[in-house]
Amino acid sequence: MTGDDSDLAPCLQRVREGNQDAARVLVERLYPQVIRIVRSHLPVRTAEEDLAQDIFLKLFARLDRYQKRAGVPFEHWLSRLAVRTCLDALRAERRRPELRWSDLSEDQSAWLEFMVTDEASPPDCGPGPVRELLEGLLAQLPPDDRLAISLLDLEGKSVKEIAQLTGWSIPRVKVRAFRARGKLRKLAENFRKDHPDERL
Amino acid sequence: MNDFDAKWQSAAAQARQATRREESTPVGFAARLLARTAQPGRAPIELAWDRLMPRLLAGAVAVLLLCAALEAPHWRDDRPLEPGIENTVAQLVWSL
Repeated sequence: MTGDDSDLAPCLQRVREGNQDAARVLVERLYPQVIRIVRSHLPVRTAEEDLAQDIFLKLFARLDRYQKRAGVPFEHWLSRLAVRTCLDALRAERRRPELRWSDLSEDQSAWLEFMVTDEASPPDCGPGPVRELLEGLLAQLPPDDRLAISLLDLEGKSVKEIAQLTGWSIPRVKVRAFRARGKLRKLAENFRKDHPDERL
Repeated sequence: MNDFDAKWQSAAAQARQATRREESTPVGFAARLLARTAQPGRAPIELAWDRLMPRLLAGAVAVLLLCAALEAPHWRDDRPLEPGIENTVAQLVWSL
């Protein structure tokens, strides 16, 4: 989101007073920030718009509880609310989606091959297929692990930022990320072992 | 950092360069959302009832099945149900 909190404060006040136009402006303004978070942590069987709507409904329901504090901007409060809502949705997902070899494109299988073998140079392809592959692998992890690695590696957030967003301690974030990477390695290796005939 | 971690990091660095999809608000999103906020919320008692109802039904069915299992060996006997079981069944059927 662009713009600072002082710019947002009058709008928030009008929303608290029940002004529908102000609420509409607030939604339009915050939507890009919310949808970015939703897309990074979306359960497979949930529509991104539904989850975004849940986040905004919580935002309106809890807006009275938000109090501006020094150093804690509104967008940070919103990010935390969005991340926690996504985490709840991921935890509610009964079965994690299965990643199948047949779902991978040639570029993606080449990248997976590169990650689990001794190949020295990465395949030459655009960032889109790589992102899809990593998201597919991350979707296999337990929700908390997935969240930690997504925030750390795919969104490039610092450990401190993740601790603030999730409410976890800094050591907990580090330990979770370390374990999650270990799980990812095993997952990628097992996935490759299960498809030995499909080596490129 | 082992080999996999280094390669994972290079993959993540590449993935971060992926272009972002459209992030503007979909048409009608704000209107749908505000319509939902205008709806009266459900009372906690209704929510609790919704949550408990399936469990209550499952419990009632389990008791009925238990009663049926207890009575099954005697179904050819020319005698009424055991009084205790008969009462339980009657009360359950009545409450349903």
